[in-house]
Amino acid sequence: MKYRLKIGESTAEVAVNTSDEKDNALFAIGDKAYPIRFTPASENCYHLTLDGKTTRVYVARGEEGKFIFVKGCAYLVQDADERAIQKTRRSGMDETPGEVTPPMPAVVVRILIREGDPVKRGQGLVVVTAMKMETTLVAPWNGTVKAINTAEGAKVAPGDILVEIEKEGKDHE
Amino acid sequence: MFRKVLIANRGEIAVRIMRTCREMGIQTVAVYSEADKAAPHVLEAHEAIFLGPSEPSRSYLNIDKLIAAAKQSGAEAVHPGYGFLAENPAFAEACEATGIPFIGPTAKVIRDLGNKTLARRIMKSAGVPVIPGMVEATTDPDALQKEAERIGYPVLVKAVAGGGGKGMRIISSPDEMKEACLSASSEAQKAFGEGSLYLEKCLGAPRHVEFQILADHQGHVVHLFERECSIQRRHQKIIEETPSPVLTPSLREAMGKAAVSAAKASGYVNAGTVEFLLDPSGSFYFLEVNTRLQVEHPITEMTTGFDLVKQQMEIAAGNPLKLEQEQIIPKGHAMECRIYAEDPEARFLPSPGRVLVHQEPSGPGVRNDCGIYAGFEVPVEYDPILSKLIVAAGTREEARRRMIRALEDYVILGIRTTIPFLIDIFKSPAFEEGKTHTDFIERHFQDWHPNMDSADLARIAYIVDELAVSRGPTKQVTARGWPTPWETLGHWRL
Repeated sequence: MKYRLKIGESTAEVAVNTSDEKDNALFAIGDKAYPIRFTPASENCYHLTLDGKTTRVYVARGEEGKFIFVKGCAYLVQDADERAIQKTRRSGMDETPGEVTPPMPAVVVRILIREGDPVKRGQGLVVVTAMKMETTLVAPWNGTVKAINTAEGAKVAPGDILVEIEKEGKDHE
Repeated sequence: MFRKVLIANRGEIAVRIMRTCREMGIQTVAVYSEADKAAPHVLEAHEAIFLGPSEPSRSYLNIDKLIAAAKQSGAEAVHPGYGFLAENPAFAEACEATGIPFIGPTAKVIRDLGNKTLARRIMKSAGVPVIPGMVEATTDPDALQKEAERIGYPVLVKAVAGGGGKGMRIISSPDEMKEACLSASSEAQKAFGEGSLYLEKCLGAPRHVEFQILADHQGHVVHLFERECSIQRRHQKIIEETPSPVLTPSLREAMGKAAVSAAKASGYVNAGTVEFLLDPSGSFYFLEVNTRLQVEHPITEMTTGFDLVKQQMEIAAGNPLKLEQEQIIPKGHAMECRIYAEDPEARFLPSPGRVLVHQEPSGPGVRNDCGIYAGFEVPVEYDPILSKLIVAAGTREEARRRMIRALEDYVILGIRTTIPFLIDIFKSPAFEEGKTHTDFIERHFQDWHPNMDSADLARIAYIVDELAVSRGPTKQVTARGWPTPWETLGHWRL
């Protein structure tokens, strides 16, 4: 079976071939093959043995993917195919600048517009704050404020559409 | 000595203060907001008092609620920590008025030194070198323009009530002046309720070197040597070390004397920090006094052997300092780095959320002052600091290597942290050579990308976890997917 796994900007295909021996599997990434024996050590910890050398790795399942710690490095590893499916249902964060959504979990500080207001591309709509850092979310295009789905003081997360903007001179798809 | 102390703060610093209290046999009172019901400082304290909603203005910044909590708990003193109300003279005053000692300098000293131009005047008259510039603030752009001509460009415009880089601009030519002053003034007005500005000569690539001081009520003042804090991002220190890689013994002595003079001139009592800028020619200039315990105080504790919080308690209780300058002899080298809940891969955006795995580093010479645990939800409302990792060793190079080792051992999963970024700073040749200036990050780490050396293993671990979960504790589930050429492979080779 195959996985397409994304770390930051880089996606790689991993082929995995499980054997009858329960704790062994052969992994292939690009032209490299990794015969691995693995042992769960605790709920979040595995021992991976490659060429007789055992490495301790930590795995934690988060909402965005799995956080994985290997040899002093922490990575967020995401299933690229699952992410692609999610994206059609729920907008992602940075890849779709068309949506007015916070880039991180945040609290709404100020709403700068009202329903029905005309807005210009780049105009500030909502100010959010997270950990003492303020960010202004701006209009992705010229248009009219169709709906405001939040309020001052509300806790918001990436993917929440805070303001809907009807595009100027265009029916929205 | 006090029998009970209220800690008017949260996070790692509240925990750190409580540790010393426990060692001194002092009962501790925590205060907390809605978001912090299960925070480490609440769990660490002997008792905890609820302040109110998560918004700082309705909890940790609310003087009335804090004073009420102090009275209700029967606390005999209040420790403000750093941040929040630590440098707010009104809070110190309110404590004084209630008869509960504020563990820090008097309200008057905090007020005087918080006014940056008044502080410059105090230092100037005490013979402490100040950065060339103005000693009176103004909002008049023409007056500022005239002063800038006199001082010579580039100049730094600063807010008289400033701090944390707010209301601060670098101006390199006359035509930028008006616009920069307007925006700096409005930013300062918003942040501090005071829009007055003053100018200082802009020093090129200085180092930030500060001296720890202790002053008792009897007028005795000592310094506990320097900390170099040149590595900063958005005007916030992220790495500190002591001793500074560049101070000569004579320069150290001169700066230490200046720091003690600065403390005496301002009537300082308790622990404080005198900050200087050191230019490439070896001239140093007074920057400001931080009238509180610093985030980076542990490196001084590691090299001098003194517990600064204990010293603060003794001073606040009216006891004289039991040390003379000659008895303070720092040993070895210490470094600290601040671990933030920020995503270094995404413009350091804040990364609040639930910590899923937390394993702290240990081993010789490693100390972690930490405000999180596995399962803790890092709140979106407060500062992103999670922990301060501190190491001590015989030499700078040993400390640097120890810090890399400790950072590589530190597991925090569930949120993004600055650990990978910090590891690369400590590994960089510029840091190794001690070329630490305030523009270090812009100069060397503008275009940082994370180390992908273990990405393959991380991807494998992802799948291993899928396999383990799908197999479950009971019986193996049929593998999903389709056969691959690997299944027909005779033997494995790397």
